[in-house]
Amino acid sequence: MEKGPDHGKHRYGMVIDLDKCTGCGTCAVACAAENNVSVRQDESDKERSISWMQIFKITNGKPYPDTEVSYFPRPCMHCEEDGHGHHTSPCVTVCVATATKLDPNSGIVSQIYTRCIGCRYCQAACPYKARYFNWWDAYFPKGKGLDRYLTPEVSPRMRGVVEKCTFCHHRLMRAKTRAYAEDRREIEEDEYITACTEACPAQAITFGDLNNPKHRVSRLAKSPNAFRLLERLNTKPKVYYLSTKDWVRKLADNYLPDEFKPLS
Amino acid sequence: MENQAHSSDQSTKGGWLFFIAGFIGSLILGWVIFPMALYSSQPQPMNFNHALHMNPDKVDGIEGDTETEKCLFCHQLRDDGTFAGIPRLEKCMECHDDPESPLGSTPEEKDFLTRYVAEEKEIPWLSYYRQPDCVYFPHIAHVKMGKVDCRTCHGDHGKLEDLPAYRANRLTGYSIKIWGERISGLKFNTWDRMKMDDCAECHTKKGHEENNACFVCHK
Amino acid sequence: MELNRRNFIKFLVGGVAGIHVTPLPWKLTDDSAIWTQNWPWVPVPPEGAFATESTVCTLCPGGCGIEVRKVDERTVKIEGRTDYPVNPGGPCPVGMGGLQLLCNEDIRFTRPMKRVGPRGSGDFKDITWDEAMEALRGRLAGLREQGRPEALVAIDGSPRGSTQALLLERLLMSMGSSNYTRIPSAEDTFWMAGILMQGNEGPMAFDLENADFILSFGSGLLEGWGAPGRVLNAWGMWRGEQKGKTRIVQVDSRASNTASKADRWVAVKPGTEAALALGLAHVLVTKNLYDRAFVRDHAFGFEPWESSDGKRRAGFKALLLEKYAPSKVSRMTGVPAAEIERLATDFARARAPLALCGKGKGDLNGSLYETMAVLALNALVGGINRRGGVLVHDKLPLDPFAAVEADAIASAGLRKGRLDGAGSATFPFAQSLVNRLPELVLKSRSTPVDTVLVLAANPLYTLPGSGAYRRMFEKVPFIVSFSPYRDETAMMADLILPDHVFLEKLQDVVWPSGLQYPLVGLSRPVIEPLYRTRHAGDVLIGLAKGLGEGVADNFPWENFEEALKERFKGIAEGAPGLTSFDGSTPPWETMASGGDIRADYESLDDLWEKMQSGGLWFRPAHAYGVRNGLFKTPTGRFEFFSTQIELALEEQSQHGGTDEVLARMGVSARGDEACMPHFEEASSGGDPAHYPLILVPYEMINLASGWIPSPPFLFKTIFDNQLLKQDSFVELNPETAAKLNLRQGQRVMVESPAGRIQARVSLFEGAAPGAAYLPLGLGHTAYDEFLKDKGANPNEIIEPARDPLSGLPAWWNTRVRLRRI
Repeated sequence: MEKGPDHGKHRYGMVIDLDKCTGCGTCAVACAAENNVSVRQDESDKERSISWMQIFKITNGKPYPDTEVSYFPRPCMHCEEDGHGHHTSPCVTVCVATATKLDPNSGIVSQIYTRCIGCRYCQAACPYKARYFNWWDAYFPKGKGLDRYLTPEVSPRMRGVVEKCTFCHHRLMRAKTRAYAEDRREIEEDEYITACTEACPAQAITFGDLNNPKHRVSRLAKSPNAFRLLERLNTKPKVYYLSTKDWVRKLADNYLPDEFKPLS
Repeated sequence: MENQAHSSDQSTKGGWLFFIAGFIGSLILGWVIFPMALYSSQPQPMNFNHALHMNPDKVDGIEGDTETEKCLFCHQLRDDGTFAGIPRLEKCMECHDDPESPLGSTPEEKDFLTRYVAEEKEIPWLSYYRQPDCVYFPHIAHVKMGKVDCRTCHGDHGKLEDLPAYRANRLTGYSIKIWGERISGLKFNTWDRMKMDDCAECHTKKGHEENNACFVCHK
Repeated sequence: MELNRRNFIKFLVGGVAGIHVTPLPWKLTDDSAIWTQNWPWVPVPPEGAFATESTVCTLCPGGCGIEVRKVDERTVKIEGRTDYPVNPGGPCPVGMGGLQLLCNEDIRFTRPMKRVGPRGSGDFKDITWDEAMEALRGRLAGLREQGRPEALVAIDGSPRGSTQALLLERLLMSMGSSNYTRIPSAEDTFWMAGILMQGNEGPMAFDLENADFILSFGSGLLEGWGAPGRVLNAWGMWRGEQKGKTRIVQVDSRASNTASKADRWVAVKPGTEAALALGLAHVLVTKNLYDRAFVRDHAFGFEPWESSDGKRRAGFKALLLEKYAPSKVSRMTGVPAAEIERLATDFARARAPLALCGKGKGDLNGSLYETMAVLALNALVGGINRRGGVLVHDKLPLDPFAAVEADAIASAGLRKGRLDGAGSATFPFAQSLVNRLPELVLKSRSTPVDTVLVLAANPLYTLPGSGAYRRMFEKVPFIVSFSPYRDETAMMADLILPDHVFLEKLQDVVWPSGLQYPLVGLSRPVIEPLYRTRHAGDVLIGLAKGLGEGVADNFPWENFEEALKERFKGIAEGAPGLTSFDGSTPPWETMASGGDIRADYESLDDLWEKMQSGGLWFRPAHAYGVRNGLFKTPTGRFEFFSTQIELALEEQSQHGGTDEVLARMGVSARGDEACMPHFEEASSGGDPAHYPLILVPYEMINLASGWIPSPPFLFKTIFDNQLLKQDSFVELNPETAAKLNLRQGQRVMVESPAGRIQARVSLFEGAAPGAAYLPLGLGHTAYDEFLKDKGANPNEIIEPARDPLSGLPAWWNTRVRLRRI
């Protein structure tokens, strides 16, 4: 069995089945609602808008009527290596403020907003564009009432800091807290899943501990259909994708002609 | 030249006094005036006698071998493991259920019964120990799983007969209990300060260095 | 010892030295850093006790089970329920973002209001509920006093058969007005097709999960068709544990999500789905692949027969053979003949093939003949009431309320009939035709309509040809909106009686759209109303009581809840059902053996109480395969040839020839063909020479349906080639764009004879050449900064023709041209 570079106790990871994914966007909405992500008046400015779980639309480029579209939902990949074999993430190595770390207990890349100085090095270093800079304060105008739905489990961000997907880290804390109340120290497979995993109406997302062979996610990650985005950067993302379609798989990396190996 | 030397002599004489005056002035400013100016002071909406309520002879249900168990009678851990913090009126009314008949004889209780119990209005307590929004602090992990006494962080709050004024830092909005009560920043008791380093210090001391990872305490 | 410059400096140096041995600089530095982490304007969400409450989503007719996470009294998150059979998991993105429709004061009416500025200005004044109720009561009482109660019109978008809809219709009937109209949806088309071919009033029920070959004629399975939570979940199952067992074929003119994700996409010319369905039927007949036993024993009008007048009638088979050979259909639809033959063969050879229809989400009505053609295709493969087919059900046994007792004024009003002509000779099968109201109001100098009540609807935005409704609303003397939202229609209203929004409101969810077993959900409030709004049902009951004897007598209930509970009497006394679902075995697996369901409630009170917690009654049982006595048509059989259409034509032919009647109905077919499913070339307004493109409005699952505004969260999922700043995009095939000399991102005016809207060009290989695709759900002119002026609303330029026979709007065939700006 291939052992991940992280020998910590848990390595939480995700597998997204692109054949099941319908591109509906429920995961992205669930994520924003769960994590107090601010919604701006103009969300069409994709350079500035924030979506921890971003959906990318791809097409096979064939002419009518052989055209096909598909989607890549993209959370933070929670990379385990920086691409040079070091056990850290590309964003973590560049952070000058120790505001982001690869958590050894969970494999989650943390982001501490109160620590972040907003230099945006991490944003530049992330190959997956998973990091977002707050150009403005979170948009909750006084008297509009939008702040009524904010959850206390996730801290709202101020302008000038970077934010990103945390694998709903607060849900891990929630699960642990509940386990403690029930006199347990360990949590079960389904007790901690991210908001997007839970929300996906097509059950395309599987979440769990990659280090635990009993978890579905660790089996799925070893499927012959599994692949990761920009795998050859050697960042060892903990988000895997499944697809049986070669044209989809091919778009996961920048292949030279004849370099891509089709499944079939 | 002569003249200049003379005048120099003149000013040197006693000149150190100016230095000392400045020095002492700063000490007074820094140690006395500054702390007073930095913190606001607000009385709690009513008094609460912790010492009285911690007495099992007086209060039914306040039992347990340790002080912590007694604290948890009112400052409860909910079924989902979260901490309820300052009890709601509902909890008080488990005993103080009739606004007409006080259980004790203090004027404070009468006041409490008429202003809150009769009106079924929550008491707008000011929380001494609230951590800022960026902090996730699970009481259950510390109190139940880590066997940490309430006293470790909250000192002898449970022995107080009178609630002290709530003092908040005018700049940060933090309660003085988080850090500021001992303005020197020196720490003699574990409960003197509740900053990140203090959490980390305790984790390290107890051999839980892994809990110093950012995402253990931040949200 | 004097204070000179030198000593002053010493004093300062002393001071500076001293300050460093005090906490001041250090503490201040630390605190300043902390200060920058706690800007007072960054919200700090209050903590509290967490709890969850389950209820049912009412943002679309799908009715998914949802769980609302709360912190004390605040709602902080919506999640899917696993103990609700419709959606064993997550809901759709709209439901997921639903809290933004609750907590947004800028898009809601927080109290009753009356108009003070000009119509449409949005200039309102706060009034009390007493004032508001009295204003409307007075108006209605006045109409009755003047003896013209029929001048009261309602436009209702509440789900078909819901208690709220019943109460509104009842109020109108008790007043003396038959002019209760509804926003047309796919349910209406299904209802008509069901009546005509099966003689059954029950909802169209598709046994999706048990089918192994799904042939969808333009139904946006992944765009929000039916109950989205159910369909998306089924999709995950088809691509997961049941991989390869169920094949999905999508007939669509565009590479939609459904078309792309299906196993096969059959690209047709827009609006020719019916022709393809009939082409497939032709192949089934010629290759002898149809269910001969079903056709022989349970169908009427397939083979030739001799009618009572001794005439020889050719029947449906002959029609298929004559007109729908693959070569002909290929010319109509653009699908190669060989593909038609292959598809028909695959469809027929499947164990449980199922053909679906309902355009896009089904928010808008479909074409009646097309729906009939698809139903006929299902019948030919024996798919009616077969496992994995189209199931025939009775209506839910919800109590319909006692018949309205009309007093003298009301009886006189009701005798005047319907303004829109629904149910009349020209529109014999329509129940209401809201699309006919504008011409009726606008053509006469004095409008026959005095007061319009708008409930759960936003016709000025959602109806095709919305400009006509705007002109109508400008002319109507008095408009009352029950909308909780500041929508386009409410902006035109004179009086606002704001309803609660979902999560604050008790509502019944009658049979989620397309579900294969009877189910009624109870959407319970999970939060106290945030503002001074009032349940529309309570307002209607209160109004009726205020109108005094005659009207009030028909409303014996204290409030909405009482009326709702009364309707459940029928459920409690009817066939046994269940009020809880444990999530272990999906209902569609057990339905076949579910005949021995034992009710888990004993009485109405018991049922009602159990529904308060589970929010659900369902009956996962069906007598598959039963066909005897199933069809309530005049022939007692499934009618490929509708004897009811024939009868309606005969009755009318006394006042002119059948051909004339058909022309009035908008049917271009003549003779027997009009009584059978057939393909009618879309008759669109514009001249193809001037308007070379066909406008195809399309729906997206990540924009809200119908009158519900989209939660702003959804805009995170809209791509910047769908909406960029204030522009939405018109999708064109690159070939088409090249002919028009248009490039990606260019701004164009999309012009139809009815108007024009601005958009940008998006080149998409998956768009059919010759068609222009615009998304529905953008382009609001009302609401707040999140929604207003975002993109264009194609409804503004659609020039709806009349769908043949049904009389409902045909909104899928407007011709447009693009002009570069």
